[in-house]
Amino acid sequence: MFFLKEETKVITLHPSYFGPNVREYLINRLNEEEEGRCTGDHFVICVMDMVDIGEGRVLPSSGQAEYTIKYRAIIWKPFRGETVDAIVTSVKPTGIFTLAGPLSVFIARKNIPSDIKWEPNTVPPQYTDHADQVIEKGTSLRLKILGVKPDVAAINAIGTIKEDYLGPL
Amino acid sequence: MLLRLPPSLHYPITVTSLLKQPGDAVKRDEALFWYVYQTTVTEGDGLGNKVEVLRKFPTKFESTVDGEVVQWKITKGDIIDEPVEVIEIDEPCAHEVQFGGLCAECGKDMTESTYNTEVTDSMRAQIQMVHDNTALTVSEREAARVEEDAKRRLLSNRKLSLVVDLDQTIIHATVDPTVGEWMEDKDNPNHQALSDVRAFQLVDDGPGMRGCWYYVKLRPGLESFLQNVSELFELHIYTMGTRAYAQHIASIIDPDRKLFGDRILSRDESGSLTAKNLHRLFPVDTKMVVIIDDRGDVWRWSPNLIKVSPYDFFVGIGDINSSFLPKKQELGTLTKTGDKTGTKSSKSPPLEHHVNGTTAKPEGEVSALEQLVTMGGGDNPRLLQEQTDAQEETIMHQVEDRPLLQKQKELDAEEDAAESIDSSSSIDESQDSSKHRHHLLEDNDRELFQLEERLEQVHKQFFNEYDQRRTKGLGGRVAALRGEKTASKEKDVDLKLVPDIKDIMPEIKRQILGGVILVFSGVLPLGTDTQNADISLWARSFGAVVSQKINLKTTHLVAGRNRTAKVREATRYTNVKIVTTQWLLDSLTQWKWLDEEPYLLPVHPDDRGEPISPGSKEVESGWLSSSEDTGGFGTEEEEASESTQDILKSTGLDEHSPIGYGEEQQAAVHEELKEFLGSDDESESDSEISSWTEEATSTKKRKRNEGLEGGGDEESQDEDDPPGSRLSQRIKRSYERSTGLKEVATAGPSQAFSVPTESNDEDTQNQPEESASQDYIATSPEDPADDADELEREMLAAFEDGDYDAKTEEDVAAENG
Repeated sequence: MFFLKEETKVITLHPSYFGPNVREYLINRLNEEEEGRCTGDHFVICVMDMVDIGEGRVLPSSGQAEYTIKYRAIIWKPFRGETVDAIVTSVKPTGIFTLAGPLSVFIARKNIPSDIKWEPNTVPPQYTDHADQVIEKGTSLRLKILGVKPDVAAINAIGTIKEDYLGPL
Repeated sequence: MLLRLPPSLHYPITVTSLLKQPGDAVKRDEALFWYVYQTTVTEGDGLGNKVEVLRKFPTKFESTVDGEVVQWKITKGDIIDEPVEVIEIDEPCAHEVQFGGLCAECGKDMTESTYNTEVTDSMRAQIQMVHDNTALTVSEREAARVEEDAKRRLLSNRKLSLVVDLDQTIIHATVDPTVGEWMEDKDNPNHQALSDVRAFQLVDDGPGMRGCWYYVKLRPGLESFLQNVSELFELHIYTMGTRAYAQHIASIIDPDRKLFGDRILSRDESGSLTAKNLHRLFPVDTKMVVIIDDRGDVWRWSPNLIKVSPYDFFVGIGDINSSFLPKKQELGTLTKTGDKTGTKSSKSPPLEHHVNGTTAKPEGEVSALEQLVTMGGGDNPRLLQEQTDAQEETIMHQVEDRPLLQKQKELDAEEDAAESIDSSSSIDESQDSSKHRHHLLEDNDRELFQLEERLEQVHKQFFNEYDQRRTKGLGGRVAALRGEKTASKEKDVDLKLVPDIKDIMPEIKRQILGGVILVFSGVLPLGTDTQNADISLWARSFGAVVSQKINLKTTHLVAGRNRTAKVREATRYTNVKIVTTQWLLDSLTQWKWLDEEPYLLPVHPDDRGEPISPGSKEVESGWLSSSEDTGGFGTEEEEASESTQDILKSTGLDEHSPIGYGEEQQAAVHEELKEFLGSDDESESDSEISSWTEEATSTKKRKRNEGLEGGGDEESQDEDDPPGSRLSQRIKRSYERSTGLKEVATAGPSQAFSVPTESNDEDTQNQPEESASQDYIATSPEDPADDADELEREMLAAFEDGDYDAKTEEDVAAENG
């Protein structure tokens, strides 16, 4: 699910950047460091705007300035039960690896409808029900997240396509 | 799942009541039964005294899993003394497939642990069996199931699995920017060879190698090799390179991804940076797997392995991804050196040697410490960092130092020098070489063609065996179900009948060098375990027996260099073929017992002079002929090797048993020694033999100086003899001699020094003799294993005596000008 979240971040700036462009530079730094970051709990999708840059405080002894920035960002926190669209990255006899944006989701064989079978002899190998449903590398899938586990700088999730309206798009 | 009591309970325990009945649902941490246990506790008695009392405590046992009770294995009132199984619970999900700490089937967190957790659920699935992802783990049962499916599929397609290594096996990669320049430069002598080199850039390959260009040379014939082999095998890549690297290579050698698909395992997923493990890809069984790799040690010489000779196109670069692996054993360099000499035989030898010498260097320069560090390479993070640094360093080193450019420069310089010499002697050659400079890079590797044959052979053998077993196994049933035969044939792939590659391949290989008993000399560095060195393990996998010492049974002496004590010793054995290391390597890589003839080691005349087994005419003459050569220093190399063969031939007729080390043979040894020393003694005192040499002028001088003790008469008589009759004379004399001096009783170095009380004439002879024995002592540490044996030392000392004549001659000749 997506949220608009207000966060704060402390950026230290080298004196060589002090000048009329400080603000611009801070925005760049913020975008560079925050956008696309995974905290283990959620992904920061996009920094919207800066609420408050605050006054820079020069740190004693180093001469660097420290800015405490308040900003608003769109974040994505995947939940159990959430339905997402994903792209297949690889298919294996044990299941399907997919990427839903930045989130890697694995669909185990048990969570694939029983009529969609592993077919290793095709190139590339695929899951197929020998009709209109073919799942191979690059296929778009709609899946439901069954479980989410935060890691240090990544989130692992497992999903299912064994429900109505799920599967290849 | 059967729940088992943990060993931590206070046994014995008495079950007092069961809380659940079969069919009841159980939650995790829910009580299953009550029990009591007894223990002593310290209590106060209310008066300030402390008393130890035996008390009973009731406790409940809690479930560690969710599910439904199937049946109890205990009953109320049981007294349990040790951990036993108590209850069977049917779980809704056995968590057999897990992804990143989650059960991939039910979505539960597998790393959760409570006070009640004995073993976390994540331990249930520990096998990684997907090539390109380490987060996915499966249980043994699941792995077996998946693998079984795969095997059925392969069998019905009549395929096997083939694990392919990249670096130096099917490709050779370098980051030396020189290659790029040479590719641009049409006039460069190496341009031709580089025409099909592919390049790619790895952008995010760690700090320090940002945007490094990789140049990849495919092994000649690779495309057709992969095409043909993929008909018979399902191909997997297993490399020690990074994932990005492996992907790039894969897209070069297999642009359509038809051959490898995404069956690529790189160092990022390997799990170990020091060794490759087949169980990473085939966790359950490896019956149908063949490996091709240029290094056997990383696979611990797995029986599934076909070791190929390393592809070394960019000379001196080696394997750019090998920083993590244990350092190659010294022989690796030898292999290469040998390779070149084998393939480039058309070129002028001195040039080659130079190139090879420099080639060998970078790999040989491995400090002991570094080696220790790499060998002990567990996967601890600090070491890992060090090795990563080392890898980066290697890469940077290559980028900056441009070893190829240096080599070409050296080669050119060498070439120029050679040219200036050549130009005087042979005009043709100098013209030829001035037209096109010698190029450093050779493009004449044939390994893959041979490899393809071998793989076909293995494949054929495997399925022959399988078909045989199947017809046998199906015989009864097929008769019964004849109607359904065709239908069941495809489905009924009986996995129990699958033969094991680990039996089939070693069997094929064992026949190749079966019966070879070889001894190494100058091949392995001192102090290495001859049995477990790379080359020995390799040779042994082909059925050869590696022994330490030369004895009667030895068939081959594999000599890394000439003039070792063992070479000297081996010349005395009629059945021992003295071959270069290349013979062994070529035989091993070609899976063929190659003809030894082209690989025979040209034995140095000095060493060759000694194979004497008195009592046999042939040997006697052989010995004499060799001493003739010895007399004429500066004989041609070809002549020397020719006469080596003469000796081998002549000694081949000799049925006199060579010296062995068995107790029984010792007597024979002493007998021989007697004769041997006897003949030498005579030659010392009479100087007869030397007088037979063609180049006898110096000898004659010596004799005249030493005094005319009666040798003179014979000499003049000899001079008059026509050359044709010499042999018969010689034989006659040798008979006389050996019969006359059989009385000499003791043998040993002391023999040589036992005559200083004699006249001055004798002294002049003894002195060089002494120096000769010292010579031997000085050279003997070449192979300390040899002088362990007392007897052998005696023998060698005796040989020095035999050698004496030649040396004395030389000495005296020098004295006399």
